[in-house]
Amino acid sequence: MNVQATAETYESYVEQIQGPAKIDIKKLDFFYGKNKALHGLTTGFAEKKITALIGPSGCGKSTLLRTMNRIYGLYPGQRAEGEIMFDGRNILGPNEDLAALRARIGMVFQKPTPFPMSIYDNVAYGVRLYERLGRQDMDARVEESLRRAALWDEVKDKLHTSGLGLSGGQQQRLCVARGVAVRPEVLLLDEPASALDPISTAKLEETLIELKQDHTIVIVTHNLGQAARISDYTGFMYLGRLIEFTTTEQLFTNPRGKRTQDYVTGRFG
Amino acid sequence: MRSQMLLIRRKASNLVFVGFCWLATAIALAALFAILFTLVKDGVGGMNLKIFTMDTPAPGSDGGLRNAIVGSIMMCGVAMLIAITIGVLAGTWLAEYAGESRYGKVVRFVNDVLLSAPSILIGLFIYEMLVKPFHGFSGWAGAVALAFLATPVITRTTEDVLKLQPSALREAGVALGSPLASTIRRVLWRAGQTGILTGGLLAFARISGETAPLLFTALNNQFFSANMSKPMANLPSVIFNYALSAYDDWRRLAWAGALVIAVAVLSVNIIARTLARETRPS
Repeated sequence: MNVQATAETYESYVEQIQGPAKIDIKKLDFFYGKNKALHGLTTGFAEKKITALIGPSGCGKSTLLRTMNRIYGLYPGQRAEGEIMFDGRNILGPNEDLAALRARIGMVFQKPTPFPMSIYDNVAYGVRLYERLGRQDMDARVEESLRRAALWDEVKDKLHTSGLGLSGGQQQRLCVARGVAVRPEVLLLDEPASALDPISTAKLEETLIELKQDHTIVIVTHNLGQAARISDYTGFMYLGRLIEFTTTEQLFTNPRGKRTQDYVTGRFG
Repeated sequence: MRSQMLLIRRKASNLVFVGFCWLATAIALAALFAILFTLVKDGVGGMNLKIFTMDTPAPGSDGGLRNAIVGSIMMCGVAMLIAITIGVLAGTWLAEYAGESRYGKVVRFVNDVLLSAPSILIGLFIYEMLVKPFHGFSGWAGAVALAFLATPVITRTTEDVLKLQPSALREAGVALGSPLASTIRRVLWRAGQTGILTGGLLAFARISGETAPLLFTALNNQFFSANMSKPMANLPSVIFNYALSAYDDWRRLAWAGALVIAVAVLSVNIIARTLARETRPS
């Protein structure tokens, strides 16, 4: 509740992105029931770039991510106010076709969530919802998706065995493959590497840099090194506010906010 | 020295606890084996091919249980079809859509009441609803009575199993652009299929031996009939009648019938579990 008391003192150094924004957020508030979790957030996410969101636990990073595909709508009592412009349309509007929206804005979660079906069917699941592909086309799409997620070589001989039989790192890359298979324009990743070992993490990071060519990527991470390695822009959040948003280089080498500085230098967090 | 004592105490209390668990299991298993042993001992004597080829006899003459077996299979089959359809859908609704809504709470409460309702009460209810108005006992009425007993079991297990699935799985399906309903059908049901199947098996095991609800509904039939609109023979009623009779050959048939039910429930269990293991990606 000291949020209210200190509201005046929040610094805010949010810079405009260069180039076109794929998603533009204006004055976004978010509520879990009566609790306000995001306070008037305004920022843009650059097209075909990686934007990292960092900040201490409970600062609203994941909440922000979950507004962009409206996945929060699964839970009654959660609501967002403000504007999230995606291709010129406010997706918070009441008439938004959520299934179609989520097909264009994919999401990968913190824990790997393979479906209880074969590796092949995991990847084909989302595709089948929106496209009718012949067997050969579908085979090609599955292969392409698994290649892009850097998983193909490891699973090409066991496509029809269960996705649950893979290791944690492989499962997570399977989820990435499943996400890119529907060819979304945006990919949201919620701490995708937090359950992975360093080698799997490195592979996943390579994958994301590859994917940047075609996708706009927003990644929530607790790993500052990861944000510095792969992202073009970084936003630092604190207590439901966007404190600083600028190029990754700027944010890590020359942060303007005191809190940002403390956080990236490891003085708190 | 003191830590040594504590260590010994810890080990001792652990030993006592494990010992009690072991003992409790042993008692339960002993009871189970005693029942099975009596069943096999008394049932095997009456077992022969005639059980499956001839109908229930008059005292003193040759006969089997064919009409009762067929009647039981038909009524249990219809009952399970009804119960699985309603139970799985209702359980899914409770787990995925009802939340903490008032209607959801009422449905959940009523289902729990039905779960423990005495089966004779269900029989009476169906008698009033489906027997009296149509002026006659029928296989349909028996099947519906059994369905009333099976549905709450399946509803409850389906709800519990779906609630155990991680919400991340639900979100992952929805995040791919799949509407919640198809995520439930294609991802969550599959993830929970073993549990849902177990619920179905429990329900089947429960109804396959029920006598009380059939007394007022399907009644019984001395002769072979596959007509569900007429009174129908069934194993539990036959066992009930024959086991209490004064004739040795009838009592032998009753034991044989009991063994048939036990073996049927056991084999359905084994078959269903094997199938589930094969279709489930391991």
